[in-house]
Amino acid sequence: MAHQAHPYHMVDPSPWPLTGAVAALLMTSGLAIWFHFHSTILMLLGTVLLVLTICQWWRDVVREGTFQGHHTPPAQKGLRYGMILFITSEVLFFAGFFWAFYHSSLAPTPELGGFWPPAGITPLDPFEVPLLNTAVLLASGVTVTWAHHSIMEGDRKQAIHSLTLTILLGGYFTFLQALEYYEAPFTIADGVYGATFFVATGFHGLHVIIGSTFLAVCLHRQIRHHFTSTHHFGFEAAAWYWHFVDVVWLFLYISIYWWGS
Amino acid sequence: LSSGVEFSSAVHSAVCRKYVFICCVSGIPTDEEQATGLEKIIMETMKEGKDPYNMLKPKSYSGTKEDPNIVPSITNRRIVAVSVSEEDNTAIVWFWIHEGEAQRCPSCGSYYKLVHYDLPH
Repeated sequence: MAHQAHPYHMVDPSPWPLTGAVAALLMTSGLAIWFHFHSTILMLLGTVLLVLTICQWWRDVVREGTFQGHHTPPAQKGLRYGMILFITSEVLFFAGFFWAFYHSSLAPTPELGGFWPPAGITPLDPFEVPLLNTAVLLASGVTVTWAHHSIMEGDRKQAIHSLTLTILLGGYFTFLQALEYYEAPFTIADGVYGATFFVATGFHGLHVIIGSTFLAVCLHRQIRHHFTSTHHFGFEAAAWYWHFVDVVWLFLYISIYWWGS
Repeated sequence: LSSGVEFSSAVHSAVCRKYVFICCVSGIPTDEEQATGLEKIIMETMKEGKDPYNMLKPKSYSGTKEDPNIVPSITNRRIVAVSVSEEDNTAIVWFWIHEGEAQRCPSCGSYYKLVHYDLPH
């Protein structure tokens, strides 16, 4: 029997990197086609292909790790590095939007009236729904830590309850933020204030949805007994991502909602 | 709320009856029970103190003829890379070790002996 003599995972050939690349191509060129020729078919096709790629690729990762045992300690270490590097890249992604916000708000131009918030903008009261949103996300950080400790201590019931609560809190945040978007007295087209506000909080909201989805997948896997008390990296990765989303919100709240008002 | 607690404990005990190999009472399996494949093989052999998949740093020996560096191999030869052959080495010395008598590093002369082992399967 010719087996590997190393503990790493040499993955089997897979079509998902190719389908993912094709999806990226279709989505980007589809965006251009939409802008110029008013047709959304290419972009929608790309999005569908992206979703299929995501589901099947990560389904395969779960199969390889949980069902086939390929995630040895060194392999898991690699996955940890990967997640940390990815989250770091996301931090830098948001850093750009914070740079844009501070660039415009620290030295408001005469067109804005020379002050911030600019003339004509009524900012949202930071001590109303945005403060509630802060509390919701902080609470969800507590519940996800509770879930982690429950898993490590082998308590299935509490793990499921606290993870469910985390997802519900994430959903509540998204719901509240959607209401705020609907009721806001300014739009993305309202100068640099609107642009920085909605691009930064909008990408954050997208990340909340992504993080909630990741946690929901973990809940499904936890219910199906995938995680052990010592090996549950998928959950840890989701929890790291969730804490990152929470920290970005805190920066958004302090900078844009509070200082920026 | 109390009926919810009863329901979840009923589900819990039903699950425990169905999956008898979950021996821990509170319901989350351990690696002992659930690890599979290479992860399981590595877990079990490391418990016996063995490292067939070279996860740890190679053991260092004094390198004399009586106490040569042991080089485990699943075939009859293996490449050895020595990074501190002499004190001021700035390069790594690479060489093949074949089965049989202990051979010497071409740079510093330490002894290396190939020892065959089989992968657990």
